[in-house]
Amino acid sequence: MNYKEKIEQLLLSVQKPARYIGGEHGSVIKDKSKIDVRFAFCFPDVYDIGMSHLGMKILYALKNKRENFWCERCFMVEKDYKQVLIDNDIPLYCLESLDPLYEFDMIGFTLQYELSYTNILSMLSLGRVPVLKKDRKDLAPIVVAGGPCVCNPEPLVDFIDIFIIGEGEEVNLELMDLYSEVKKRNGTRQEFLRLAAKIEGIYVPEFYDVTYNDDGTLHSFTPNIPEAPAKIKKRVIADFDNVYFPEYFVVPYTSIVHDRSVVEVLRGCIRGCRFCQAGFIYRPFREKSVDKIKSETKSLCEQTGYDEVSLSSLSTSDHTKIAELLRTLADYTDAENVSLSLPSLRIDNFSDELLERLKTIRKSGLTFACEAGTQRLRDVINKNITEEEILSTCRTAFEGGYTTVKLYFMLGLPTETDEDIEGIAQLAHKILDAYFETPRELRGGSIQISVSTATFVPKPFTPFEFEPQATAEEIDRKQKLLVRRLQSKKIKLSTHQDDTSILEACLAKGDRRMSKAVYNAWLKGCELDSWSEHFHFEKWQEAFDECGLDMAFYANRKRDYDELMPWDHLDYLVSKRFLISENKKAHEARTTRNCKEGCSGCGIDKCYGGVYCGGKH
Amino acid sequence: MAANINRPRNMALRVERFDYRMIFSKTGRARFISHLDLMRTFSRIFKRARIPVWYTQGFNPRLYIMFPLALALGTESDVEIMDISLTEELDESELMERVNAVMPEGMHINKVYKPVMSHKDIAFSEYEIRFCLVSDTDALKSFEEYLSQEQIIVKKHSKKKGEIDVDIKSDVQVLSLDKDGEFVRLSVRLPSGNDKTVNSSLVMDGYKAFSGEEYKLIYTTRTKILTKSLETFI
Ligand code: SF4
Repeated sequence: MNYKEKIEQLLLSVQKPARYIGGEHGSVIKDKSKIDVRFAFCFPDVYDIGMSHLGMKILYALKNKRENFWCERCFMVEKDYKQVLIDNDIPLYCLESLDPLYEFDMIGFTLQYELSYTNILSMLSLGRVPVLKKDRKDLAPIVVAGGPCVCNPEPLVDFIDIFIIGEGEEVNLELMDLYSEVKKRNGTRQEFLRLAAKIEGIYVPEFYDVTYNDDGTLHSFTPNIPEAPAKIKKRVIADFDNVYFPEYFVVPYTSIVHDRSVVEVLRGCIRGCRFCQAGFIYRPFREKSVDKIKSETKSLCEQTGYDEVSLSSLSTSDHTKIAELLRTLADYTDAENVSLSLPSLRIDNFSDELLERLKTIRKSGLTFACEAGTQRLRDVINKNITEEEILSTCRTAFEGGYTTVKLYFMLGLPTETDEDIEGIAQLAHKILDAYFETPRELRGGSIQISVSTATFVPKPFTPFEFEPQATAEEIDRKQKLLVRRLQSKKIKLSTHQDDTSILEACLAKGDRRMSKAVYNAWLKGCELDSWSEHFHFEKWQEAFDECGLDMAFYANRKRDYDELMPWDHLDYLVSKRFLISENKKAHEARTTRNCKEGCSGCGIDKCYGGVYCGGKH
Repeated sequence: MAANINRPRNMALRVERFDYRMIFSKTGRARFISHLDLMRTFSRIFKRARIPVWYTQGFNPRLYIMFPLALALGTESDVEIMDISLTEELDESELMERVNAVMPEGMHINKVYKPVMSHKDIAFSEYEIRFCLVSDTDALKSFEEYLSQEQIIVKKHSKKKGEIDVDIKSDVQVLSLDKDGEFVRLSVRLPSGNDKTVNSSLVMDGYKAFSGEEYKLIYTTRTKILTKSLETFI
């Protein structure tokens, strides 16, 4: 009995088997005898989550557009099916060919969040690929990783051969072409890695040596072969309007988290909130033309048959032609009976006519990412939203019958005091008052305000990369204070579990030595860490102890401006000087204007296509 | 064209509807699409094919698609029934062609016509089941023993009473039972309809319980959907 027959039999007895068999509309099947490079695109989480991810859809279609490449999908399996695979001796496989992972030339992971790291190890191991890169001797498979978390890839250097820094649309193909060439002439893994190191945006960790100071901080980070550059610069698509975008999606049978067409309208963010990694690592701000967005929307809607399309970006309202864009899209979606959903939209400066149209497009609850409870602290983090804006938007919305408001905050931000925590409660109560002040005949039946708090996690390449994370005890005290201050049944508080934030901070700011701790934690059974029912903090603590590593050293230590960070060999184009000056301004509660108001000279050259970048070139 | 696929904005407006019955296949990987997901799958298929589907009228308009008989997850079939209403009359072969052009792997429309019978006329399904066992027991002989019992008692899951024992002897009409290479091949007619339904898995799980055997491979295909008088449902 071959694997495929076995898989089909076993699927008769698992939950939602359609997730494990492929064959969806849009999935790409090729004749493998005609393929030069087989690529397994792995999302280190379950199907429902991974299939919702836009980056995967882009790179899947991009690679498959090339006749001699075949890109397939692979996801982490749920515990029940994992056991079935192990019990029946079936390796983890890709959904198109159902071939096991170990048969692929290249295996690529996308790193979207730190808590998915152990899933990478599980997937490699289930796919019978040696988990440790030192145990992989042949050319194939090469294990690569990309995505936002590779901005500090050090905790994963024992498992991944190559990291792809920055935007993947060009460099993925360059890497696969190189692989194809080396494979054709029977070249070795070493040869391939050395040549790969010369490609801009490619980081091959084994070509760098690291030394440490007595206090545990990094002393030096130096290339050990001539091909490896001292600094690896991220890749950026400068001509963003002409970047490849798929004309098709794989349309799943089972429902997934984001089950709709998605069109990317812009990349980068003008705002520079100081805690936000995405706001810095995706710079500069670039956008697509209205025509392009319209034609991409049309072809995707036609191919998928979805009746909903959503716009993807960090902040859609920052598109320079937002009103024209929404009007154009609404004309199309109205005519085609498709609904348009607009996450991350600020409605500050829209005309009444447009607001009226949007109302008919989608009426969802009100959401505010306030992040901090007082104006002072919002200035510290450069979050450009005022209490008056929030309240006036709420008043208008309450008059229009809205009855739910969601507020998001962070706890443990730099310089935070108890007054800032109390500010969260005061803001929620002011919104409640605004509801009761709305005339009865206008407002909806009953109000529900939900306040969510998450623990602040300092991240690399942000002005807060130097900052310590608040300890679990501090966060606990702050949460209790907030509970005491929120005194209405109409206000619901939900707080994020902190142990995961501690681990997130460690993994985000860790160095190479942490790779061993990740391995040990995985050996102890850690996987699916982002699911609270599977998260075992004590196992992680043991793993750190075994490696002689102290979580507090990584998470709770304030770092000097001149400390060598584990990610300082990577160049995300924003200068260290700028990050330091932003950090200083934060401590003085001084804001920085957004890129649209005027360039603040973060260090990005205008050759990268940024709409507002004024730098030299 | 675009205007036709709009659902009526004006709810007072009565839109004429044209009913069609489609006979479709669900084979290969597509047999793992659950009944619940099938509705969503077809609504996207019709959208892709730009078919002017009729929406239910009222507060929350929904595409009118109806599957009179559920197919168990994992069972293949070339005879599944789906009823759909459109807002305009379309040539049946054109309709079939347009839908088939945008179908996923393993799904296909085989026939389209105006409905003749009513759903309550459905009374039986016929299945072909091929299986082999993990052990090297003589599967044919052992399965014959199972079927020739005085009573065939199987465990049935009922919503109200939980697991109950039922005798399905009188419901199981064996049409043929023979060997096909290493497989045993069973052709069987079972009640399926509003009054009574016996799933093929009931019969096959019953055998496992009876014999203590496990299937190494098992493939189930629904081959016919019949009325009380054993005519093909149309
Ligand atoms: S160079 Fe100026 S405009 Fe460009 S991203 Fe940096 S601050 Fe913004």
